Amino acid sequence: MTGAGGAAGSPGATVEFERVTKRYDRAAAGVPGAVNDLSFHVPAGRICVLVGPSGCGKTTSLKMVNRLIEPTAGRILLDGVDVTTKDVTELRRGIGYVIQQVGLFPHLTIGENVAVVLRLLGWSSERQRERAEALLQLVGLEPATYRDRFPSQLSGGERQRVGVARAIAADPPLMLMDEPFGAVDPIVRERLQNELLRLQEGLAKTILFVTHDIDEAIKMGDLVAVMRVGGRLAQFGTPEEILSAPADDFVARFVGVDRGLKRLSLRRVGDLELQQVVHVRPGTEAAEARGLAEADPFPYLLLVDEGDRPIGWIPDDRLPADGALDADMATPMSPLLDRRATLKDALSLLLDSDVQVGIVVDRRGTTLGIVTVEMIADLLRGGDPVVWPRGAPDAATPGTAEAAGS
Amino acid sequence: MNWEWIAGNLGQIVDATVDHIVLTGIAVGVGFALSLVFAMLIYRDRRWYSPISGLTGVLYTIPSLALFAMLVPITGLTLVTAEIGLVSYTLLILTRSIVSGLDGVPADVVEAADGMGFTPRGRLARVDFPLAVPLIVAGLRIATVTTIGLVMVTALIGEGGLGNLMLRGFNFRNYTAVYVGAIVTVALAVVADAVLIWLGRLATPWSRAR
Repeated sequence: MTGAGGAAGSPGATVEFERVTKRYDRAAAGVPGAVNDLSFHVPAGRICVLVGPSGCGKTTSLKMVNRLIEPTAGRILLDGVDVTTKDVTELRRGIGYVIQQVGLFPHLTIGENVAVVLRLLGWSSERQRERAEALLQLVGLEPATYRDRFPSQLSGGERQRVGVARAIAADPPLMLMDEPFGAVDPIVRERLQNELLRLQEGLAKTILFVTHDIDEAIKMGDLVAVMRVGGRLAQFGTPEEILSAPADDFVARFVGVDRGLKRLSLRRVGDLELQQVVHVRPGTEAAEARGLAEADPFPYLLLVDEGDRPIGWIPDDRLPADGALDADMATPMSPLLDRRATLKDALSLLLDSDVQVGIVVDRRGTTLGIVTVEMIADLLRGGDPVVWPRGAPDAATPGTAEAAGS
Repeated sequence: MNWEWIAGNLGQIVDATVDHIVLTGIAVGVGFALSLVFAMLIYRDRRWYSPISGLTGVLYTIPSLALFAMLVPITGLTLVTAEIGLVSYTLLILTRSIVSGLDGVPADVVEAADGMGFTPRGRLARVDFPLAVPLIVAGLRIATVTTIGLVMVTALIGEGGLGNLMLRGFNFRNYTAVYVGAIVTVALAVVADAVLIWLGRLATPWSRAR
C-alpha cells in the first residue's frame, strides 16, 4: 500500500487552533456556524474528527483552515505558520479538500478530475496522467475502466473515491474532509471508511474530518473534538477518553446511552487474550482425543485441517468409542471472526448465531483461539477479559474452572 | 413558381442569402460580445443585475419598426442602423442565458474548485464557463433564429438580405421571388439551429455521458 503510486510522500502537518473565533454579525451568540474560542492541537499524521450537532460550527472551523472562511479572532497554525499569512491559492493547493457532495467537475473526465490540482501546480500532462492512474489504482478504481469516464457515469461511492484520490493527488500534508461519506448509503459508507483507514496507514496524513455521526467519529478518529451549538469545544480527547469519561452531560448525551457498547467498536478481536481450545485433526484416534478432552475444561474439541483451519466442533460426550475421528463428526460451525473484526461486530455475530462462541482466525484462516459473549461482556463491565469457563454451567470440572478464571 | 426566373437570378438570390447571413452573424456576434460584458458585470457584482436586465428588457420590447423609425434620423439608412436594432434584440436573451448558465454551476463544484486553489479567473475560465455552455448555446439558438427573422424587417431601411428579395417581389408582383425569399430564410433558420446544436454537443461531450 505504502509504495503504490508513490503515494507515501510528505509527512503530515501539525494543526493548531489558538482561540479561534468566528462571529457572524446577525446576532451576538448562538448563530449557527459561529465558533467560539476554539483551541486544540492535532499532532502530525493523526485523524482528528470534529463532531457535534448541526450548527455547532464544525464545518466553519474546517473552512477556516483553508480560508474559505476567515476567522474573526484567533489563529490557525499549520506546522507553526499562521494560515492567514500565506497566499490563499498556494495554501489551498497544499491542502486536500473533500466535501460531502464530492464536487467533481462534471465536464472533466475522471482522470482529469484527479489531476486538477496537479494541473494548477503546472505538472506536465504526462506526469499528470501517470499520477492520476496511480491514484485511481490506490483508491480501488481500475484506471483503464474509469480514467476516461465522466462523473455522471459513476455511482455515489465511486465518485467519493475519486474525490479522495483528487484530494491526495498533490500529496498534501493535510486533508480536510467535510462529511465525506454523508451522502452514500450505510454499506458503502462503511466500506469507504475502512478504505480511508487502510489508505491512512500508508499515507500518514494529518486529517481534519467533520461529521455529525458520533459512531463515525469514534471509528475514524485518533482524536475527537466534540463541539456544541455556539461553537464551543465540549471535549477533546481520544475516542476511548470521550466514551469512558464524558466531560459533561452534553457529551454524555451526545455520545449516547450506549456508549459502553460503542467502546466495543474501538477494540478488535485480536486485541483480546483469546481462549485456547484443544485442536484435533481428522484421523486422530478416538482414545487419544478422549484423553485430550478430559484434560481440557472446554466441553468441545475443535476439529481443524492440516492448515489449522477450523472444520467444526466435536462435543466431548459424542466422541466415538473407538476408531478415528472423521470430518463428518463435526457439528455446525461457530461464527468465524477475523482477528481484525471489532468487538462490536463480533458481539453482534455471536448474538445472531446459536452458539455463543466465535472462532478467531487470521487472514489465512488459521485458528487463533475463541472468543465468547461472556469475554466481551466482561470487558464492557470494565474488567479484564476472562477465560472460559468462569461460571459456565457446563464446565467439565469445577476445579479447572476456578483455576482458569480471572 | 417561375423556374426560369430562379435560374436567371441565381446570383441575386445567392447575394441576398449571403447578405442575410452576414447581417445575422454581425448581430449575434456583437450581441454576444456585449452580453458577455453585461454578464461579467453581473457576475462580479449582483447590483448590476437590475439595471442591465431593465435596459435589455426595454430594448427588447420596442417594436422593431418603431426602433428603426427612431434610428433613421440619427444614423440614416445604413447597415449601422440595421445592426443597432438587430443587436438590441439579442441582448436580453444572451445576457440572461450567460448569467443563468454561470449561476447554474452546482454549489459543490464551486466549493471544491475554490477549496482546491483555483484563482477566481481560473475558475471562471476552466470551470464556470465550460459548465455554462449548454445554457449559453440554448440562448444563442434562440437569438440566432430570432435574428434571422428580424433581418427581414431591415429590408424597409434598405438592408434585409432575403427580406429585400421578398420586398421587391411584392412590389413587382413577382411571387416567385417572395416564395424563394421565404423558403431560403426558413432553411437558413433550420440549418443555423442545427449547426449550433451540433457545435454545442461537440463542446460538451460530458453532458450526454450516462
